Amino acid sequence: MTEVVVRCCGVTRTYQDEAVPVYALRGVDFEVQRGEFVSLAGPSGSGKSTLLNVIGGLDRPTEGSVEVDGILLNDLSQSELSDMRLNKMGFVFQAYNLIPVLSALENVEFIMQLQGIGAAERAERARGALASLGISELEHRRPGELSGGQQQRAAIARAIVTNPVLLLADEPSANLDSQATEELMELLRGLNEERGVTIVTATHDPMVMGYAKRRINLRDGAIVEDTINEAIPVAK
Amino acid sequence: MPLKLLVQLSARNLTRHKRRNFMLLMAICVAVAGVTFMNSLIRGFQYDMQESAVANLTGHVKILAPGYLDDPSIQKSFELANDWQPDIAAEELDGWAARIRIPAVIMSERETRGIQFVGVDPAQESISFLGDAEYDGESLRDASDRRVVIGRALAEQLETKVGRRLVIITQGADGLNREMGFRIAGFYDAEGTGLEKIFVFTGIKTLQDMVDAEVFTEVSIKLTGTPKEFSIKAVLAKYFTGLVVLDWQELEPQAAAMFVFADAAIFIWFLIMMGALIFGLVNTLITAVMERVRELGMLRAVGMRPGAVIVQVVLESTFMMALGVAIGIGIGVGLVFLAGEGIDLTQWAQGMEMAGMSSKLVPRLMIPDLILVAGLSMVFGVLASLYPAWRAVKITPLEALRR
Repeated sequence: MTEVVVRCCGVTRTYQDEAVPVYALRGVDFEVQRGEFVSLAGPSGSGKSTLLNVIGGLDRPTEGSVEVDGILLNDLSQSELSDMRLNKMGFVFQAYNLIPVLSALENVEFIMQLQGIGAAERAERARGALASLGISELEHRRPGELSGGQQQRAAIARAIVTNPVLLLADEPSANLDSQATEELMELLRGLNEERGVTIVTATHDPMVMGYAKRRINLRDGAIVEDTINEAIPVAK
Repeated sequence: MPLKLLVQLSARNLTRHKRRNFMLLMAICVAVAGVTFMNSLIRGFQYDMQESAVANLTGHVKILAPGYLDDPSIQKSFELANDWQPDIAAEELDGWAARIRIPAVIMSERETRGIQFVGVDPAQESISFLGDAEYDGESLRDASDRRVVIGRALAEQLETKVGRRLVIITQGADGLNREMGFRIAGFYDAEGTGLEKIFVFTGIKTLQDMVDAEVFTEVSIKLTGTPKEFSIKAVLAKYFTGLVVLDWQELEPQAAAMFVFADAAIFIWFLIMMGALIFGLVNTLITAVMERVRELGMLRAVGMRPGAVIVQVVLESTFMMALGVAIGIGIGVGLVFLAGEGIDLTQWAQGMEMAGMSSKLVPRLMIPDLILVAGLSMVFGVLASLYPAWRAVKITPLEALRR
C-alpha cells in the first residue's frame, strides 16, 4: 500500500512585478508517494525551483494547499515551518551551503544539535552518514579544504543523517563535473533504493533526470508531462 | 534552543575576518581601558577633593556655636566638660579635635596680615592636615606651647624666619583687643599656599589664656572608612544640645557639589566613549551578518528558528565585547598601577588649589566602577547587536539562499 508524502492541490504562486502579477506556478496538482525518486524538470523559469521551495516550506503558495507527511503547510507559522523542515525534511542545495567554520563532521552533527540529540548519538550517526557517503576520512576537514564533490557529499550526509521523510535537492549537480555528478546520483539512488528515502529534485541536468524514477516536466508554471522513467542506468 | 551549538558557531565566527575583528577588538580595548583609567582619575580627583576638604580643619562633622559661621569670633564659643566626648564606636572614629579658631592680625617687623588664629592640641591634630605637614623648624609640642607655627607662604609674605617673634592681635572674650608676642617654632608646608597663608597655630591653652576664657569655637570629628556622618550627626545633635552639628557637605558646599558632579562625570564619560564605539560595533556586525546572509538563510532553511539566529548574532557581539572588556580593563588597571604614584600637576597647581585639590593627582581604582564599566559595556554590546540580528532574520531563508 502506497503512502502519500507530498500532496499539492491547485498550487499557484504569483509574484508582484510592479502592477502586473507574474505566475511562477499555475494551479499545480501532484502527489509524491513514499519511496519515490522524482525529478522536477524544465527550462529556466518553468517553476521547478519554486515548486520545490513551496514543498519545502521555504515559500508559501498564493493559492492552493501543500501537505507534507499529512501536515498542511499553509497554516503553519514560521517557527512551525522551521520545525517541520528540521524534523521531516532534508535539503541539498546547489551551492552546498556548508558552514565554513565547522568541520565536515560538525556540519553533519549540527542538524542533530538543533534537534536536541545527545553528543554521543550525534557523533555516531554523523560518522555513519559520512562513512556511507565514503568521506569518513575527511571528517575533520572544513568545507574550504574539500572539493566540490566532497562538499556535496557532506551536504547530503547532513541532509540524510536525521532520517528525513523527504529529501529535497535543488540543482544538486550544478557545480559538479560529470564524474562527480554520476557519483552523486549513484549515492542518491542508493539512498532511495536501499534506505527508501523519498527524493524530489529540481534539475535541468539530463543525467540527474535519468536517475529519477519519475519525471515531472514543467513549463510556464504548469505540469506538462508526468512520466515514469523506464531507462534508469544500471547500478554500478 | 541549542545554546551549545550557538556558542560554538558564534565563537568560531569571531575567527573569520581576523584583521577586521582584531581592529574592532582593539577599539573596544582602547575605549574600555580609557574609561577605566579616566574613571580612576575622576575618582582620584573626587576623593582628593573630599579629603582636602575634610583635612582642611573641617573633619567629617563639626560642632559649632550657633551663628559662628556668620560671625566667627570668640563670642561664638562654647564650653566643654572634662568628659565631653560622647561614645562613638572606636572602629568608626578616626579622632576628635577641639579648637579655638578666631580671626586675628599678625605682624612681623616688616608686614601685617589678616589670619585665622587657631589654638590646637597637637596630639589631636592627626585628623587634620597639620598632622601630616612637614616643618621647617619644629612643630608645636603640646596644648600649652606658647610658640606659633605658620605656613611657609605666610612666612614669605611676612619676610620672617624661624625663631623670630611675631605679634598677634585678636579680640578677647570680653570684647577688648588682646596683643601678644609669639616666637616662631616652625613653618609648615601644606597642599596649596591658601592654607599656608591663612592658618597660624598655637597651643590651645595659650590661646585660651590670651582670650581669657576656657572655651572652644569648634569640635571637629573625623570618621574612618565610609563616612557615616549622617547617622552620627543625629547622635551628636542629641549630645551637644544648643550647639550646631554640621557635616562636611554643609561646611564645604562647593566641594560637596563637585563630589556629586564627579559621580555624574563617570557616567557621562562612559556614555560618550561607548556611544562612539557602538556605531563601530553595529557597523561591523551588520557587515558580518550581510556577508554571510546565505549561510544564515541555509541555517533557517534546514530548521534553525529565527530566535536562534538572533541569539547567535547577539552572542557574537557579546563574546567580542567580553573579550574586549577583559583586555581593556586589564590595560586600564595596568595604567592605574603605572600611575600609582600620582600624576604631577605642579604646573597647574594654582588652578588645582582653586578646585580644592592637591597638585598631585593619584588615580583611585574602585571595584564598583570596574563592575559598572564591565556590566554596562556588556549591555551596550547586546543592544548594539539587536539591530544587526533583526536585519539577519528580516530576510526570508529563500531570499537569503538566492543571494
